[in-house]
Amino acid sequence: MTMPDYAKAFTDFWAAQGDAMLKAQAEAARMVTDGMQAMASGTLPALPGAAAAGLSAEVADLGRASTAVMELWSAAAAMSGEVAGKLAADPLPVLGEMETSAVVLGRITDPRQWLSGTGEMDSIVSRMAEGPRLADLWDVERRFAQVAQAWMLVRRRQLEHEAIVLQGWMQAGRRFMEEWAGKHGAEARAPDTKATLALWTEVANRQLLDMQRSEPFLQTQRNTIRATADLRLAQQDLVEHFGKQYGFPTRTELDDVHRTVTTLRRELRAVQRALRGRTAPDGVLPVAPPTPPQALTARPQEETH
Amino acid sequence: MAQKGTGAAGALADVADAGAKMLKGGRLLGSVRDADVAIATTPKDLVWSQDKVSLYHYHPLAARRTGVPVLICYGLIGRWTMTDLQEDRSLVRNMLNLGLDLYVVDWGNPSRADRYLTLDDYILGYLDGCVAEVARRAGVERVNLLGVCEGGVFTTAYAALEPGRVNTLALTITPIDFHADTVENRAGHGFINVWTRSLLPEDVDRLIDANGNLPGEFMGAVFNLMSPMRSLLKYNYDLLDVVDDEKRLLNWLRMEKWIADRPDHPGEAAKQWLKDLYQQNKLVRNEWELDGRRVDLGRITMPVLNVYAKDDHIIPPATSRALGPKLGTTEYTELALPGGHVGVFVGGKSQKLFAPGVSAFLEKHDRASA
Repeated sequence: MTMPDYAKAFTDFWAAQGDAMLKAQAEAARMVTDGMQAMASGTLPALPGAAAAGLSAEVADLGRASTAVMELWSAAAAMSGEVAGKLAADPLPVLGEMETSAVVLGRITDPRQWLSGTGEMDSIVSRMAEGPRLADLWDVERRFAQVAQAWMLVRRRQLEHEAIVLQGWMQAGRRFMEEWAGKHGAEARAPDTKATLALWTEVANRQLLDMQRSEPFLQTQRNTIRATADLRLAQQDLVEHFGKQYGFPTRTELDDVHRTVTTLRRELRAVQRALRGRTAPDGVLPVAPPTPPQALTARPQEETH
Repeated sequence: MAQKGTGAAGALADVADAGAKMLKGGRLLGSVRDADVAIATTPKDLVWSQDKVSLYHYHPLAARRTGVPVLICYGLIGRWTMTDLQEDRSLVRNMLNLGLDLYVVDWGNPSRADRYLTLDDYILGYLDGCVAEVARRAGVERVNLLGVCEGGVFTTAYAALEPGRVNTLALTITPIDFHADTVENRAGHGFINVWTRSLLPEDVDRLIDANGNLPGEFMGAVFNLMSPMRSLLKYNYDLLDVVDDEKRLLNWLRMEKWIADRPDHPGEAAKQWLKDLYQQNKLVRNEWELDGRRVDLGRITMPVLNVYAKDDHIIPPATSRALGPKLGTTEYTELALPGGHVGVFVGGKSQKLFAPGVSAFLEKHDRASA
């Protein structure tokens, strides 16, 4: 990224923050409201992108994983409402775009942010896997089936992993409530937002670090990495099929070229190194065997240059 | 600043302060120019290059006090610019001000075309070429190596395989025993070790085969996992904290610039890094091989200075300190610095200790002054 791009990215980011404030506030409120209403009525809030069940075993598994995450999502939404309530103990008046504190608090207690925060690697893994869109590849049926199957496995693995992450956040929320009550429960006046935020940050960080070292977290993340690698390889296989048909250079062919170039360069360096040892340029002393350290410190000055 | 109060009045004052901060911050961000956040600005010349690798020689900033030059070798994860982040936070400048003759190697930006480069290539090919060039230019037989993090592993292996070309070996935040994260087992420390061991060797192979290289942003995400709440708060709460203070904002932006500059790690070299070292821990066991030659730490007979950060959560101190008993020299010194993995380079306290510590070590073992 060039410097002007870099500066512009930051400027844009900051401008976008202002623009997104009211939207984020409204969205956060809608999410919590929907979650609470859904729980009250015994249903679950809709999860964008959830797959319809029943098309195949893979799709059924995907559906079950989606449902499990939706249930966790509802609970997480309720938890976020409680945490946000503690953090925003003081009433915050609405001043349009100036309501920074409330937005910040809303963002860091929003379950979607929880997933985006600790799920950064998963999203990057996904981007690494999601090269061409599925619609572009629909024509080659057998290979497409492999890609589709691999894609569904990725989604399922991601949902399984998200479920573990959400559980970790909920555990953090419960622990925060306990510690907050232990510290401030008997006080007549609620502590200020900054102190409460510090407690939330400390407690959540501790719980998340524990979660990340747990076998379920590591296992589901490992499964996600495997699934995304398999998807990418299936996609490459499909694209190579097209490449061969139309005479385009394929990834495999390019890799062959790169391997050859690397080997040739390696051999060239070895030759250069051998020549360097045989005919040292002006000023270079012949390479000597290792000298004991005590001899190094006692070496006369005139031998050094 | 608005008058603080309690209840709604206090909250109103908070909000007013935040608004004022944002207004000032917006103006500051809009006025930032390239030169304001330039990093690695200490003057230097390109003196050698091969393929994507470049060797730079720094201009002196003080009368030279040593005869043997120093070659700084960073790793392939991140970039050497951390050693020269800004004028008042620069290991490079501090070392130059102490009269050292300084070189640095830049590995460039590996692409998919470089996926078959191995650590053998980097250590016994490119690094060896740099060492030869530095020695040729200085007219010396041996050079001083200063390795940082993965680059410390490069210099350690080089010193073991080519001890006749290394005058002293200084290491900074360098892992040697990749399983020693369990020694202290501090919360949040050594997650990369745990994470890498959670993968099977074939998982690593498949990840690299599918992507060619180990993407820089992938490793960045692993680093972010190590401090989850910091990652969540960074671009809102933390930014808000510094946005109206020009000096702190520019410092923050320079650090962000360095973080964003994360090259991809060549694929085959990444397999070695993750499997041979992180998973199988071959270096400390003297089982690692490069170009068919075994890396025996006992062949490191030159003086060694091992600098580690006391609160390094990426390279826990025990993983670095494991080096001492394995060496073939008794001239082994440790320098424990306050701060974390990056803090050793930019922290105020370590600024006063790091370069002077390295300089004293190099002067003590400089053949010109012996």
